Amino acid sequence: MSLVRLDNVFKIYKTNGIDFPALGGVSFSVEEGEFLSIAGPSGSGKTTILNIIGCLDKPSKGHLYLNETDISTKKSTEQAMIRRRNIGFIFQTFNLIPILTAFENVEFPLVLKGDTNQKERRTMVEEILTEVGLKDFMRRKPSQMSGGQQQRVAIARALVKNPQLILADEPTANLDSKTGQEVLDLMLQLNQKTGATFIFSTHDKMVMDFAKRLILLKDGQITSDEQRR
Amino acid sequence: MWTLFKLAFRNIFRFKRRTFITLSAISVGLGLLILSICLMNGIDKQSISNIINCQTSHIKIFKAGYFDKREELPMDITIKDPDRVRSLLKDVPGIIGTESRVLFGAGLIKGMDELPCLGVAIDPLVDPGLFIIKDSLVEGAWLEPGDAKMLVGRGLAEDIDLAVGDLVTVRMITSTGDEDFSWNAVDLEIKGIFDSGHPNVDNQRIIIPLQIAGESLSLDSQVTEIVVRLNADDNKTITTAQTRLKEILKTLEEPYEVVTWKDLAGMFLTISKMKTKNSGMIIFIMLLIASMGIINTMLMSVLERTREIGMLSALGMKKSEIMTLFIFEGGFIGAIGALLGCILGGLASWYFEVYGWSVTGFGDTYQKLAAAVYPVKDVFYADLTMDVLVTTFIFGVAIAVLASFYPARKAAKLKPVEALRHI
Repeated sequence: MSLVRLDNVFKIYKTNGIDFPALGGVSFSVEEGEFLSIAGPSGSGKTTILNIIGCLDKPSKGHLYLNETDISTKKSTEQAMIRRRNIGFIFQTFNLIPILTAFENVEFPLVLKGDTNQKERRTMVEEILTEVGLKDFMRRKPSQMSGGQQQRVAIARALVKNPQLILADEPTANLDSKTGQEVLDLMLQLNQKTGATFIFSTHDKMVMDFAKRLILLKDGQITSDEQRR
Repeated sequence: MWTLFKLAFRNIFRFKRRTFITLSAISVGLGLLILSICLMNGIDKQSISNIINCQTSHIKIFKAGYFDKREELPMDITIKDPDRVRSLLKDVPGIIGTESRVLFGAGLIKGMDELPCLGVAIDPLVDPGLFIIKDSLVEGAWLEPGDAKMLVGRGLAEDIDLAVGDLVTVRMITSTGDEDFSWNAVDLEIKGIFDSGHPNVDNQRIIIPLQIAGESLSLDSQVTEIVVRLNADDNKTITTAQTRLKEILKTLEEPYEVVTWKDLAGMFLTISKMKTKNSGMIIFIMLLIASMGIINTMLMSVLERTREIGMLSALGMKKSEIMTLFIFEGGFIGAIGALLGCILGGLASWYFEVYGWSVTGFGDTYQKLAAAVYPVKDVFYADLTMDVLVTTFIFGVAIAVLASFYPARKAAKLKPVEALRHI
């Protein structure tokens, strides 16, 4: 059973009455535990695919299945609940809540999910922050951390609730190559350790080389889909 | 919910300067509102106290027919046997005491000048136990029952330059009819000058012993009214006593009228009601300013945090939760602003309650204008009550929450994808 399946997904954006096709009939499946990169030049539709898989956007046509359930037609509240339970996000610009400490930022998805008590949350957050190498930075606010540290917090935030799927939109784009490499190492390590499925978009050659599977996009169409390792 | 609460509370300190400006607008607005309400309430309270203490008492008893003609000060609609009526009222619960009085039109003649005034004949032995005129004497001494002397208000004394010991001719109007207008002139020495705090009383009244009025106005023991003093000013006490007095007086052969201070101070009450309406407008404007501040702050916040809203949505926050977060933020700003407003307004009101607000500096014309509206002069005192503070606080928070709805809705309606793309 596929974790994610896109079935002939189209996405057309309308601006001032003019149609801009972003995806033109994309179909592929993702199995549990995969470490998949969707790559392509700017405007190729990689972020659109991530948004649709992450229930942040709906396809104009076609279907999205999560655990073989069609979720493309779900209401926004139901989609929010799917995001809350099943999906973790890592953003290019980290998007941490500036008024919360690293600990609180990571704790936030657990609080939203609501199935853990304070003590359990503390243990889980401390574990994951230790895992990403930020044990000593728990009480720091995002503004007191480097970009790489912030992205590590974001990774911890995405992983802490043990989601089935982690979506990362150009996770290294705002980092220098050394820090980017470290972040990718960390993601791969966590993928291997936890078995969480990672799908990340990139246009960076180094990131593509990290992926176990690489889907290449151009003008909203898949041009290649290959297993790398 | 607790997390949203905590998050909202921290968010209000993110943009400190903007929050400070909004809080200042709310707190100053609500503070001024509290001060103006407390001042108005205080002036009303002072006015009512002055009306009851110096003018009407709580209840007046007239012979039937007098009330409608009271402006004419008729001398032919009198209570024939006031002592008998008073003796019947002695044991009514809530009554401190009663006093017979005669109200008459008069003119003070000094040289070629004559100044019209209102004469009040009182019982010098009873009055001090019930009213404040004796305590408000600023010069001279109190009247004795048989004194051919009078007390004058300070304003009246200043108007025609009278002093204690002066002998003044008083023209006492004994009949006010168009055809049988008649009067009697008596020379009375000024024994004292009073300053009661009620401008109309101090500017227009002379007070003489009841015995002199009986002789000069050919009334003998008849009086025009009996004033009744109660042990409390509240409506319930007054209406209960009024009902009881009516029942008692019904048993007498002659018909009587029992009226309260509210029946006699209609003008003041009308103005007070108008003032309440006008202050409603002021309240509305102040709250509008406060709510505009909140709407502006919240809209700016939504705009600046658009990406963050997208991220919260990505983490799985529902639209309703995002809306709640922003409403909490507005509510917090409102609550802190209202609290500061209550402190500011409370302190200012307390100051004016203790030290008063002197209007003597505004000049004579202003004071006369104020006196025409309110039976209060020189110093206005605020009346600070807990319910004004509590009501204003609740109102402030409610307005803040309402004002947050639009920005909160705007935040909740943001599409996650577009919000995340926002720069």
